Amino acid sequence: MKLPETSDTIAAQSTPPGAGALAVIRISGPAAFSAASSFLSPFPRDPGHAAARLLSVMDGGALVDRAVVVFYRGPASYTGDDTVEISCHGSPYIIRTILNLAVKSGVRPAEPGEFTLRSFLNGKMDLAQAEAVGELIASASAGAHRAAIAQAEGGLSAEVRGIRAALVGLLAELEARLDDSYEEIPALEMRSFARLASASRKKALSLASGFEAGRGIREGLKVVITGAPNSGKSSLLNALLGYDRAMVSRRAGTTRDTLEAALDIDGFSVLFTDTAGLNARAASPLEREGIKRAEKAIARADAVVLVKDASINETPGDRRAEKETARLALKGARLIRVLNKSDLPAKKGRSAAGCLEVSAKTGKGLPGLKAALVAEQKKVFRDGAQAVVTSARHFAALSAAAGELAGLEAVIRKSPPPLELAAEHLRGALEALASLLGETTPEEVLSSIFKNFCIGK
Amino acid sequence: MTAFNYPDSFDVIVIGAGHAGCEAALAAARLGAGTLLITQDLDAIGMMSCNPSIGGVGKGQLVRELDALGGEMAKIADFSMLNCHMLNMSKGAAVRSPRAQCDKKMYQFAMKHVLERQPNLRVIQDEAAQILEKGGKAAGVQTARNTRYRSGAVILTAGTFLRGVIHIGLDSFPGGRYNHPPSNLLSKSLSALGLKLGRLKTGTPMRLNGRSIDFSKCERQETDSPPIPLSHFTGEIKNPQLPCWITRTGAATAEIIKAGLHLSPLYSGKIKSTGPRYCPSIEDKVVKFPHHGAHHLFLEPEGFNTAEYYVNGLSTSLPEEVQVEIVRSVAGLEKAEIMRAAYAIEYDYSDPRQLDYTLEARALPGLYLAGQVNGTTGYEEAAGQGVVAGINAALKVSGRGPLILRRDEGYIGVMIDDLVSKGVDEPYRIFTSRAEYRLLLRSDNADLRLAPHGFALGLLDPALRENFEAYRTAAEVLLSGGKPQRLPPGPWTLEKAHATAAIDKDYAVYIERNRREAEKMKKLEHLRIPENFSYAKAKALSNEARHKLEKHRPLTLAQAGRIPGVTPADVQLLWILLGKREKNDD
Repeated sequence: MKLPETSDTIAAQSTPPGAGALAVIRISGPAAFSAASSFLSPFPRDPGHAAARLLSVMDGGALVDRAVVVFYRGPASYTGDDTVEISCHGSPYIIRTILNLAVKSGVRPAEPGEFTLRSFLNGKMDLAQAEAVGELIASASAGAHRAAIAQAEGGLSAEVRGIRAALVGLLAELEARLDDSYEEIPALEMRSFARLASASRKKALSLASGFEAGRGIREGLKVVITGAPNSGKSSLLNALLGYDRAMVSRRAGTTRDTLEAALDIDGFSVLFTDTAGLNARAASPLEREGIKRAEKAIARADAVVLVKDASINETPGDRRAEKETARLALKGARLIRVLNKSDLPAKKGRSAAGCLEVSAKTGKGLPGLKAALVAEQKKVFRDGAQAVVTSARHFAALSAAAGELAGLEAVIRKSPPPLELAAEHLRGALEALASLLGETTPEEVLSSIFKNFCIGK
Repeated sequence: MTAFNYPDSFDVIVIGAGHAGCEAALAAARLGAGTLLITQDLDAIGMMSCNPSIGGVGKGQLVRELDALGGEMAKIADFSMLNCHMLNMSKGAAVRSPRAQCDKKMYQFAMKHVLERQPNLRVIQDEAAQILEKGGKAAGVQTARNTRYRSGAVILTAGTFLRGVIHIGLDSFPGGRYNHPPSNLLSKSLSALGLKLGRLKTGTPMRLNGRSIDFSKCERQETDSPPIPLSHFTGEIKNPQLPCWITRTGAATAEIIKAGLHLSPLYSGKIKSTGPRYCPSIEDKVVKFPHHGAHHLFLEPEGFNTAEYYVNGLSTSLPEEVQVEIVRSVAGLEKAEIMRAAYAIEYDYSDPRQLDYTLEARALPGLYLAGQVNGTTGYEEAAGQGVVAGINAALKVSGRGPLILRRDEGYIGVMIDDLVSKGVDEPYRIFTSRAEYRLLLRSDNADLRLAPHGFALGLLDPALRENFEAYRTAAEVLLSGGKPQRLPPGPWTLEKAHATAAIDKDYAVYIERNRREAEKMKKLEHLRIPENFSYAKAKALSNEARHKLEKHRPLTLAQAGRIPGVTPADVQLLWILLGKREKNDD
C-alpha cells in the first residue's frame, strides 16, 4: 500500500465545488510558500503571517486571475504546516488552472480529508473532533472514489484502466525474468518492450493534457432521475430547473435519450441526468438504446432520484425500476425516493413512508428535494473538507505515471538494461495510478506471470 | 500406559528436526535457553527431502540473511557443496542470487553433528503427540511413548507431517515423507488448542540411477569458477565440483502425459488441495501450456557417494508405470532406471494469520510455529522462520523483548509479514517481486542489514565484531567518496566493501526512494493495535474494511494497511482512532 505522505505539500479547493462567485484554494506543507512563488506575482520577499495580499496568478506569461492570497506560517495555521490560501474567482477554468500550476510546481492534490488529518496529526484538533474527522474522511473518500470512476466520461476511465493493464503486463514481463531461478525464460525482446512502454507513456501524457484542460470531466454532484415509464421524470427535471429542458408528454417513453442539465443549489454544482424509463420490455431499438444509456448513467451517479406516481397504485414497473436501480447503482450512492404528482388525490394504499412527496406541477416539495440532494455534501464541507477536483487528480496521477515511464525508457536504453531498475519505474507508474484505480498488488503481478510463463521446477 | 514425567524441564522444546527445527533449536540454545529437540528419526535430521539445492533467486538472499543472524544453513551448504551458480548476473545487482547444489547426506549429517555438539541442546528420538497447556500458555510436550516434557515454550516445525497422505497415481497411503509415518496426533492437538488448519499439496520428482543416463545427449552445466560460498564465514570452497545436466521433454512426453491424465490424482479430482504454482507438476505444465513443445529438465547429482540423480522439472503424481514411460521419452533418459518414484503429498498446515510477527500463536502464548506447517515451501523459507521462532522463544522465556524483522530489513521480514498479514492459498515461496524495497534487500548487503542483530543477540562470534564494524564503516566511507582504513583480519574485506559501495553508488537515487518509502511505513509499524480494539465502534469504516479487520485483527497499523481490501483512507481513520485512544490512556 502506498501510504499517504504526511510531510509533503498538498493542495485542494477548500470551498464547495460549483458556481460560487469565489473559490478558495489551499496549499499546505513545508514547500507551500515556494510552490506558490512559482505562479504568484509579485511574490512578496517576506510574506507576513496571516497577511492578505492581492497578487496575480500567472501561467507562464499569461495572467490567469487576480487573487487575494493569505499566508499562514506553521504551526499557526489550520493544518499546523505553512499554508497559502488563494481566493480566486470561482470559474472551473480558473480553479483547475491554479491547481494544475500547483501540481506542476511539485505539489500533490490532497486526498479527501487530508488537510483535516494533518491538522489532527499536528495536534490542532481536540479529541471530540477526532471521530468526526474519521467519518468525514470515510465519506469524502467514498465520494472521491465514485468521482474517479464515474466522472471521467466518454470511455476515458476505460482508457486509464487500459494503461494500467498494459503496465501490469509489462511489469510481469520483467518480474518473470527477475525471479527466474533456472534462467529458462527467453531474454526480453527489448525493442518491442520499449515500444509498448513508449505507447503507454504517450497515452498517459495525452490523457493528462486532456484532464489538464478539463476535458472529459464534469465536476459536480451527479444526480440521475429515473423511474418507471410515465412517472413524470422529465416534468420533475423541468420543475427543478425552472425551465423546460425536457420534452414532456403523457405518453410513456417520450424521453428516449438521456438529457443533462446543471443546476446550482446552495453553491453546489449539481448535474442532473434525466433518463428513459427502465422499461425492460421496450420494443423499439431506439428505446432499448435509451435504456442502455440510462443504466450507464445510474451506474455512475452519486445520487439516484427514483420517481413514482403518487396517483396510481405501485406498478410492476415501479418495482422493476427500484430493483434495477439497486442493482446498477454504485455502492455508497444515495437513493432518494420521490412520490411525484402529489397534487393529485393520493391513491389509497400508496404508502409515502421513506419518500419525499413532491409535485412537479405545483412546485410542492421541490425545495425539500433540493436540500436533500446537497445535504450530505454540506455535512462534508462543514468541517473544513476540500472539494475533489477530479480533473486535477487525474492530471497529477497521469503526469506522474508518464514521468516514471520516461525514466523507464531511459534506463532500458543502457546495455545490458538493468531490469530491476526498469521494474522500479514501472512500480512507480502503477503507484501513481493507484489513486485513481486502486493498488497493484504483488499477487496480481504473480498471477499474470504464472498465467503467461511456464516457470518453476 | 501411565505417563512418565521427565525429570528435567526445559526453556524451549522444538518439535521436528527439519530445516526450520534445526535452526530454531540452534538459535534458542545459543541464546542460552535450555533446549530440547524431539524428532521421529535421528537419521532424518536436516534431511533434504526434495531437491539437492540451497539458494536461488530470493532464496539466496534469504540464506545470506539467515547466515548474518548466526544460522547454520549457509555454512553447511558450503561444506557439502558440489556445484554452484550465481544467478541473474546480467539482470542487476539487487537480484543476483547464489545457489548451491549439495551432497544431501553430507548436509544432513553435518547438521546432525552441529546439533549434537551444541551446548544447551538435547536431541531425542520420539514422536510428539500433544502440546501441553497450562494456564492458557504452552507448557510442554507429551510424546507418543507417553513421556511428558515440561517447558516454557514450544516450537512446532512439523513440515508436511501433519496428517500427511502420499499419492502415487490413484494409490495413496499415510506418510509425512516417503517411508516416514505422518503425525496424526499433533493435528488433533492443534485443533483442540483452537488453531485453524487447512490442507495443501506439494510433490517431488523421481530419482534416477546416473549409470543409466546417457549424458552425451544432455547439455553440461559447469559450476561457477571459483565457486562462490553462500556463507559470509566460509572462505574458500575446497570440495571438488560436479556438473549438472540439462535435457528436455518432447512431443512424445506430452502425448504420454495426456494419455495418462485419468490416472493422475490431481486431474481425477482425488487431490483437492492446492499445490504451489511455482513447482507445477509436469502434467500441469503440459495441460496449461500445450503449445510449449519442450520443458527443460535439470539432472542434478544428489551426492558425491551416490549415483542418484534428481530430475528437476519432472515432479508428478502419475502412477509409476506412466513415470517410466515419461522418463524414457526424454533425450538421454531412454534407458534410465528410476530408483525412487515421484510422488505428491497432502498435509495439514496451520493458517499463519493466527501468528504474531514473532511466529508465536496468538491463541496460545508460548507456542511458536515455523516452516512448512505455516504454509510455505522450500528449505530456505523454513529455515528463515525457524531462526526467528527460535530467537523469539528464547528471548521470551528469558524476559527479553522480541526480534521483529521489518520488510525493509530482509526477505525474512517480507515473508513473515506476508504470511501473518495475508495468509496463504498455495504453498508460499519467496520471490523478489514480493519485496517493495527490493534494491535494499540484496545478497551482497545481507550482513550490513542483519549482522548487527546477530552480534547484538550474541549469535555471531564476538571476536569478529571489530572486523565487521570496520567493514561497515569502510562501506560507508567508500560510498561518500572517501578513503577507507585497513580492516582488522576476518571474513569482511575491503574488496567486499568496494563491491557493495559500488552498487549503492550506482543505485543511489533508487535506493534513496526505497528508503524514503520504508521510513514512512516504519512510523505505522510502531503503531500497535491493541488486541481488544473494537472495530465495531469505528463507525466510519466501510463495512468491507470493518469485516476484514475484525477477521484478521492486524497487529500494527502498517499490517492493517497490507490487508487486501483495506484502503489508505481506512488506515488514516484507524490512525486517528488509535491516536485518540493513546491520548485517552495518558
